[in-house]
Amino acid sequence: MDIVQIVGLGFVVTLLILIIKRERPEFAMQLSLALTAIILIVLLAKINVVLNLFRDLADKANINQLYLNTILKIIGIAYITEFGAQICKDAGEGAVASKIEFAGKVMVMVLAIPIITLVIDTIVRLMP
Amino acid sequence: MGLDVLFKIAGVGILISVFHTALKQAGKEDMAHLCTLAGFAVVLLWVVQLLGKLFTTVQDVFKLF
Repeated sequence: MDIVQIVGLGFVVTLLILIIKRERPEFAMQLSLALTAIILIVLLAKINVVLNLFRDLADKANINQLYLNTILKIIGIAYITEFGAQICKDAGEGAVASKIEFAGKVMVMVLAIPIITLVIDTIVRLMP
Repeated sequence: MGLDVLFKIAGVGILISVFHTALKQAGKEDMAHLCTLAGFAVVLLWVVQLLGKLFTTVQDVFKLF
């Protein structure tokens, strides 16, 4: 699916959402949720190709797989958090959206802890 | 792709709003609310299936778990 089809689909569904939002806003939210989910599913296949390229590059550069996997997990958490928070904001629930973003930040911090520990260990070992 | 789901949701949404208004005009407001809830449950079923597919794909691509 190329970009023109995605943009066209986005326009059509946005118009439908505008029509439905005035009478039944809950259906409009579900429609936008369904559209964003479908676009993300289509894009994830292409992102997979790019990520495989990164994995090959990391293998050739002799980088530990742990670092790359942690970075990829953090990117995935960022995508999902942004997806969820924006849908809630569009539905008018700013508080829910900010808590979702906060949860994403905390999870990224927890994922980064082993790497920070490794960095501090290396620095301490380098010091005399 | 899964484009028919989108148009089914939009169709159900417009149909439910028409039914709700018609039932309200006919004086049966509680039937109208029941009808809206039923349509909402059906649409929720479709959306939850789609979200399940999305999150499985995300987990596969980013190896989250």
